[in-house]
Amino acid sequence: MLVFTLRRLNLFIFTFIMLTALSFSLSFLFPGDALTNLTGQINASPEQRALLAEEYQYNSHIIKQYWAYLTHLFDGDFGISIASHLPISSEIMNLLPATIELSVVALFIAMAIGIPIGFLAAINHEKIPDQAILFVSMLGYSIPIFWLGLLAILIFSIQLGWLPSAGRISLVYEIKHITGIQFFDILLSDSEYKWQAFQNATLHIIMPASVVAIAPMTIFIRLARTSMLEVLDSSYITAAKAKGLTFWQIIYRHAIRNSLVNVIRHVGLQFANLVTLAMVTEVIFSWPGIGRWLIESIFQRDYTAIQGGLLALSSFIFIVHILTDFIYAALNPLARDRKHGA
Amino acid sequence: MNLLDIRNLSIVMLSGNKKIVAVDRVSLVMKEGELRGLVGESGSGKSLLAQAIIGVLDEKWIVDADRFHWRGNDLMRLSIAERKKIISKDIAMIFQEPMSCLDPTTTIGEQLEEAVDDKQLTGFFWQKKKQRKLAAITLLHKVGIKKHTECTRSYPHQLTEALCQRVMIAMALARRPILLIADEPTAAMESTNQGQIFRLLASLNQLKNMSVLLISHDLENMAHWTKRITVMYSGQFVEAGTTEQIFTTPFHPYTKALVESTSHASLTLEPKSKLSALPGSIPILQHLPIGCRLGPRCPRAQQACVNAPKAKNYHGHIVSCHYSLKDTY
Repeated sequence: MLVFTLRRLNLFIFTFIMLTALSFSLSFLFPGDALTNLTGQINASPEQRALLAEEYQYNSHIIKQYWAYLTHLFDGDFGISIASHLPISSEIMNLLPATIELSVVALFIAMAIGIPIGFLAAINHEKIPDQAILFVSMLGYSIPIFWLGLLAILIFSIQLGWLPSAGRISLVYEIKHITGIQFFDILLSDSEYKWQAFQNATLHIIMPASVVAIAPMTIFIRLARTSMLEVLDSSYITAAKAKGLTFWQIIYRHAIRNSLVNVIRHVGLQFANLVTLAMVTEVIFSWPGIGRWLIESIFQRDYTAIQGGLLALSSFIFIVHILTDFIYAALNPLARDRKHGA
Repeated sequence: MNLLDIRNLSIVMLSGNKKIVAVDRVSLVMKEGELRGLVGESGSGKSLLAQAIIGVLDEKWIVDADRFHWRGNDLMRLSIAERKKIISKDIAMIFQEPMSCLDPTTTIGEQLEEAVDDKQLTGFFWQKKKQRKLAAITLLHKVGIKKHTECTRSYPHQLTEALCQRVMIAMALARRPILLIADEPTAAMESTNQGQIFRLLASLNQLKNMSVLLISHDLENMAHWTKRITVMYSGQFVEAGTTEQIFTTPFHPYTKALVESTSHASLTLEPKSKLSALPGSIPILQHLPIGCRLGPRCPRAQQACVNAPKAKNYHGHIVSCHYSLKDTY
């Protein structure tokens, strides 16, 4: 297990180096002055510029420049936004938790609904439920998410009036920013309207999270279905049948865990897809997350923001990747002591 | 009374609108406490037959029989649920490639414990849990595994094939079965381990009076361990008799060829002379010959062989051939 952890950590470090190298090179690839792109100091006086050039080792070798850039990153200094002149790091700290919240809730919805439905389809293989589930999942997968979002707003907010159409929480509730994750902040706050605020926040997240969850859910349905079919076909299930276990005992004790192992493996991959979907959805539902901010920054040619947002989002996705790897290892004893290249 | 009496059991697969008869009217009679061998080449339908007996075949296979008696009970008359109940109580099975027959994500201990029958336990559930654990350890001791703590804690991939097969046997013993079906239990195993597994099965047979149906393609090992042998070819019944009868006076041309092709028989051969074998190979399921399926390969085949022969019984030595070798001895 220690070797496994070290290997994952190693992978993380190298990916991080690659990512920072990419984001560093972006400042040269973007139009304009590299130092300005890197720091976001657009109206700096000559003295300030000289100071910045000194700080970022702008006149020395490129490796030294990169090292200086890395040191700044580790100090939490991502430069300032070209558009708003606010430090990028504080912007990210404000916005990333909202995206994390949205995507984690969406992932949870997608898994909690998609995986059991997929198992159900596999258990009823080539019968009517299976066909119906496959048909619906195909339909869900092919619906464009922005259209689905608008449709959901039209139906549930405007016509039925059940759910709010925009934002994270009603402006009535004043919640202090502590962790950035709305639900934790509400629970930590000492407002007497805590529970109302909690309810309100829940109402706000239902629609965007469900819209984000639809496409990954259909993928989870199919992943769970194939992996369950594979497991049900394996010889240890035949052996378990011969042992005299009933069908549902076999499903609960052997089939579910083994097929979950295969599904969990793909969660990390799907998560990147899900975050991309969340970025689009944030725009539609005015969710104050990093995705919306990043898209706005792209429109405003805010190069520092693009670099910082890219770095933050990719690291977030990568951390989730590694976490799912650990969950996979916890579920699958075969993965724990796998040798190199195997 | 016969333990197991199967008459004319057929296993059919429908592929498209074609019927493929994988096992064609095979009969098998077993007595209580018997160690019976079932021999045939790979693809002769012996594993299918075993899986049909225990009832774990997929839905694509259709099983039909004229008679299926278990200790005098007509199982054909019972509902599927009742049949399954009786069979899972009295018959256990071990498979080839034991490692793939154990759940890779569950420890050996847990898998053993769930095999222990609830009826053997007494008391409340927390007492039962302890008893289950003890029962699992006793089972491991029965199959000759002494380091039970290490074994119960490990996962299947951490054990060797032979140890996994022992664990499978332990699981099979958990329900105290009357009949144990061993489907090529030593395939892909070294000969020392093979010997251990066979010895274990033989001792269980003798000490616990547990009947064993040993399925294998290895005629020589079978000769050593079994009292009676049934031979199958390409899904058809060929010959059944005592091991001695099969080896010294085989009635069926196929059995004769099988016996002559073993290295045991070659001891009497001239040095460097050719080991006899039938021409050709076992037919594939899509192109089965009509009548006796050995027909195209059989040295004694004649016109009558396009009709499947009926089994004839000569004092317990049963053969299914139009032109048996009985009169040549």
